[in-house]
Amino acid sequence: MTIALETIHQSSAGTKPAPGWFRENRSAIVRHGVINFFMLIILAPLVWVLMMSIKSRSDAMRSDFWPRRFDFTHYRYVFDKIDTFPINLLNSIYVTSGTVLITTVCAVLAGYALVHMKPKGGGLVVATLLISLYFPVRVVSIISVYEIQDYLNLINSTSGLILPYVTLNLAISVLIMRSVFQLVPHEVVEAAKVDGAGPWRTLWEIVLPMARNGLVVIFIVNFVTAWGEFLLCSTLTNDQIVRTMPVVLAGAQGGLGQWSWPALAAVYVLVVTPGIIAFTFAQKLFFKGLAEGVVKG
Amino acid sequence: MATRPVGHADTLGARMTALRHGMSPWWFLLPAVLFFVGYQAYPIFRVLWISFTDYQYLSSEPAHFVGFNNYAAALNDPLMWSSLWRATMFTIMFLPGTIILPLLLAILVDKVSNPRLATLYRVVLLIPAVIPSTLVFVLWKWMYNYQVGPINHLLVDVFGLFTLQNAPQWLGGTSLTLPAIAVMEVWWGLGYHTIFFLAGLAAIPKDLPEAARIDGASEWSIFWHITRPALAPIMMILVVLRFGTAMAVIDEYLIFGGFNRDSPTYTWTMFMYDQAFKLGLWRQGFAAAIGMIGAVAMMIVMIILIRIFRPKG
Repeated sequence: MTIALETIHQSSAGTKPAPGWFRENRSAIVRHGVINFFMLIILAPLVWVLMMSIKSRSDAMRSDFWPRRFDFTHYRYVFDKIDTFPINLLNSIYVTSGTVLITTVCAVLAGYALVHMKPKGGGLVVATLLISLYFPVRVVSIISVYEIQDYLNLINSTSGLILPYVTLNLAISVLIMRSVFQLVPHEVVEAAKVDGAGPWRTLWEIVLPMARNGLVVIFIVNFVTAWGEFLLCSTLTNDQIVRTMPVVLAGAQGGLGQWSWPALAAVYVLVVTPGIIAFTFAQKLFFKGLAEGVVKG
Repeated sequence: MATRPVGHADTLGARMTALRHGMSPWWFLLPAVLFFVGYQAYPIFRVLWISFTDYQYLSSEPAHFVGFNNYAAALNDPLMWSSLWRATMFTIMFLPGTIILPLLLAILVDKVSNPRLATLYRVVLLIPAVIPSTLVFVLWKWMYNYQVGPINHLLVDVFGLFTLQNAPQWLGGTSLTLPAIAVMEVWWGLGYHTIFFLAGLAAIPKDLPEAARIDGASEWSIFWHITRPALAPIMMILVVLRFGTAMAVIDEYLIFGGFNRDSPTYTWTMFMYDQAFKLGLWRQGFAAAIGMIGAVAMMIVMIILIRIFRPKG
């Protein structure tokens, strides 16, 4: 609650009278100059790869920024000519949606229970989750995760990746949802209980709609992790056909033929754009959720 | 409110009502706990157990308990120490940049009063944070590429600092590979960390620095006495968490370095991975010991860092 109030307070306190107009303005110009320099550094690699994807093949090897001849056919080419490309892309979509869905359900249920159902031992759960954030679990556990997947016959299986992927961000997702649910007053939950709503209905119809911003955050965080996961995918699978697109891309050597540089760049643009577009649309909710869930916790 | 009706319910109907109303919180926690135990808690303890055996994955021989033999072997292997040192070197190259640059940038962006511009800056800042890890690595692998990479293009063709013959070889485990990865990581975290600091700055009441300024305080003393203490908790979390990620980096080394034991990218994580999945019969007992030594070494430094950076008072 306090955070929400503070944010409102802050946003209304944005305007202030500026004494000494010229001096104030000069420092503002320097400030914006420095900020824009950093913005340029952030955007430059992305602009470069976008340009690469629309260069002709001969221009690609010459590495001038502006090509002599544009060639937009690479985007169709990669769908037609790179045999595993559509499958790798589908693998990515499948694994990512599975992971995001399962993690979100787990995190919502657990976060709600921890805050509004007050389980015995809840403190221990939170402490364990927090500790796991500081331990290099992902790296150290891989020996045993390989063994588990082998035991379940899930080595070299695309679906099998979803299971370990869910846990990659599970702890942080539960903790974020917990912080977000703490913003929902306990009286609201009690009132719903008095009205005869069970925990399911209370969560689904009353509490969850109030936690929209937090949901956006864990959606994006889990999407980003699953979409770009490398270590588990390259360890637990062997064949290019079952792997996700970014992992195939990481192994591809730029050169001639199928994997010419512009073709690689076109694949890259196709794989990176969905996340950036989704984020740009959801950014308002995302920043609110970040303030509610992360900064508080 | 300590109801435990499920056990008492006899009919299905009563059971359903009981389920809906007095449901144990543990039913809600179950999915998360199952995944957490199955793929995080159990594997860690399993690896701990394996580290005390002579387990070899591809061997048909049963594994034997060998006590601390693997730990002794690892600690006597010079590669264990040099690989830990390499991870430390990378952390030293990466950590200051990824804290100080975002802090400066956040202080600048925080002063932007035009709301539209402020939003635009924030959106651009977070773009690298929504690029999935592997795609960041692939992008920078191309940036550093010898033939078509724009970085060498700038150095050779535009600024003329190098010729094609002596142009820097960034990737493949040269002495430049660790700094190159560190630069990439700073780029990746730049916006995200700035957003963190911005959230902390937003919590400082605006009239506080104003009042100090009127009283004649310098910008530096405002930073030192007002901004720095307010950002201390965020600073601590970032330092500790990023120290943790930097020491345990592996994906980047797999993509940029490869399994050359002399490469600066062959850190304890690569040493562990190499032993566990590449060499011989996959000596996973030995690999598990390497992993545990690395993890424990990290945790010790983390505790020290928490003590150093813990906000006073």
